[in-house]
Amino acid sequence: MDRIPFRKEELEIVGQTINMGRGSFPLLNTPITPRENFLMLLRGEDPLWIPFTRDVISVTPAIVKDNIARGFVYDATPFDANTEGGGPDMFGVEWEWVPQVRGSMVRPGNPKVPDVEEWEKYIEFPDPDSWDWAASAEKNRALIEQKDLVFGATILNGLFERLISFCEMSEALVAMIDEDEQEAVHRLFDKLADFYPKIIRKYKEYYHIEILTFHDDWGSQRAPFFSLDTVREMLVPYLKRIVDATHELGVIFELHSCGKNEMLVPAMIEAGVDMWNGQPMNDKKMLVDKYGSQMIFGAAPEGINNDSSVEEVRESCRKFVEKFKDYRIYCGAASDAMFAPKVKESLYEFSRIAKCGTAE
Amino acid sequence: MSKIEEIASAVERGKAKLVPGLVEEALDEGADPVEILNKGMIDAMSVVGEKFKNNEIFVPEMLVAARAMKKGVEVLKPNLGGSSDVSIGKAVIGTVQGDLHDIGKNLVCLMIESAGFEVQDLGVDVPAEKFVEAAADPAVKIVGVSALLTTTMPAMKATVEALNAAPNRADFKVMVGGAPITQAFADEIGADAYTPDAATAASVAKAFVVG
Repeated sequence: MDRIPFRKEELEIVGQTINMGRGSFPLLNTPITPRENFLMLLRGEDPLWIPFTRDVISVTPAIVKDNIARGFVYDATPFDANTEGGGPDMFGVEWEWVPQVRGSMVRPGNPKVPDVEEWEKYIEFPDPDSWDWAASAEKNRALIEQKDLVFGATILNGLFERLISFCEMSEALVAMIDEDEQEAVHRLFDKLADFYPKIIRKYKEYYHIEILTFHDDWGSQRAPFFSLDTVREMLVPYLKRIVDATHELGVIFELHSCGKNEMLVPAMIEAGVDMWNGQPMNDKKMLVDKYGSQMIFGAAPEGINNDSSVEEVRESCRKFVEKFKDYRIYCGAASDAMFAPKVKESLYEFSRIAKCGTAE
Repeated sequence: MSKIEEIASAVERGKAKLVPGLVEEALDEGADPVEILNKGMIDAMSVVGEKFKNNEIFVPEMLVAARAMKKGVEVLKPNLGGSSDVSIGKAVIGTVQGDLHDIGKNLVCLMIESAGFEVQDLGVDVPAEKFVEAAADPAVKIVGVSALLTTTMPAMKATVEALNAAPNRADFKVMVGGAPITQAFADEIGADAYTPDAATAASVAKAFVVG
């Protein structure tokens, strides 16, 4: 790919992304599409600018009941989480939509699985083959066929998150290290490692996804929930099977895992994870220096909020590009303020010039 | 290694199945029940709290250690001659109205209980008046108020204001915590203490009561 120098005309808005409930975003007059640019990063090539998180469009369609329960239906179906969010997920766990959080929770105190060691008594696995994927994909035809952005799908409840939803947080945490309960957790994760690829294969077959985002929060804002050894023992073998099944389809595997989880990155790499955005409290510079050749990280300009002036945004983006221009990264979003057009424009301009020079 | 040291080691390692037997053995050998509690369990949990603060261990290890201590206390309790001898005071703890998060609150409950308090867990989504009602108990020395969301910080403010207006306010300390809470916010709303994690909450609560 030629290193086409930046021209000011590239900042002209030439279109909008498809709106799937989160609003649409301006498409700039880029020399290649954001999708092509992001794919360069994924292939290990140097993209023409630092890709932006919204260069990926990731669906969470209503066909997967988890997405309704969690209030996160993002597809062509109009969805109002305030009136439709919550209810049973695909395993029959009841979720409660909490408007203040813009998310759902399982109300504590009445777990579906009162005893982890006997989870099989309470849990019936759903059958994705019985869902009408063709009709779901047809509704989303315009999204699937667009070529401006990388197209993907998200699975909201990963391995540990699923365990939490079954038996509550404290019990799930204890079960990860308790010798008596670990065996039951292994049995559950083993079955989930067979189950999730069934859904991923449907996404590939009907939605033609290029990226699969897999949610599994592993930490709080101060530290991981569990040690690296625990992750290696309890999660990596099963996560790796899911990652391998994803890769067999030619699909990139992105882990979405909230928390200060930087010390768990070696486990992510061992599982074969391709990308991890990670929240801002993780030391991204350390991560790209140490692990940047093995995984793609998301990072974001610092200090941008809804009140930031254009000058403040530009300065923050300039510093960000200067710091990360030589690494395999994409710009993740640290907050909603990151989605303002002025942020995207500044990131685009500075990183285009940093990577390809300017014709001006 | 003395029997009490063995108990402390088993508590630290979260060996819930071992601790009751070790406590029984220590009692059979004539060990002082109060010393078993203080040196074999509460001190062990302080070590666990320190390791947690330093990221040497994580939440599950802290939870199993607290569970192991609980099992030991069940054996020990009949030998301590009544709950007043066991407890250094009562703590009531809850998550504010509108907030369903319980993990942080649960950890604080466990660690404060492990520090020697009797704990009343008010649960989640707790209205301010319920905190005030619980704090009216003269045995209450600590009221712990948790909020995980920026959107429920106003409910924490309202709760602390209601507690500060209670006629017996001088009898208890108000401690606050949760992901979005800061020392500045705690000062602004009139709480007595903010702590960033459960282990610190336990040591601060203990310091309030026993100095």
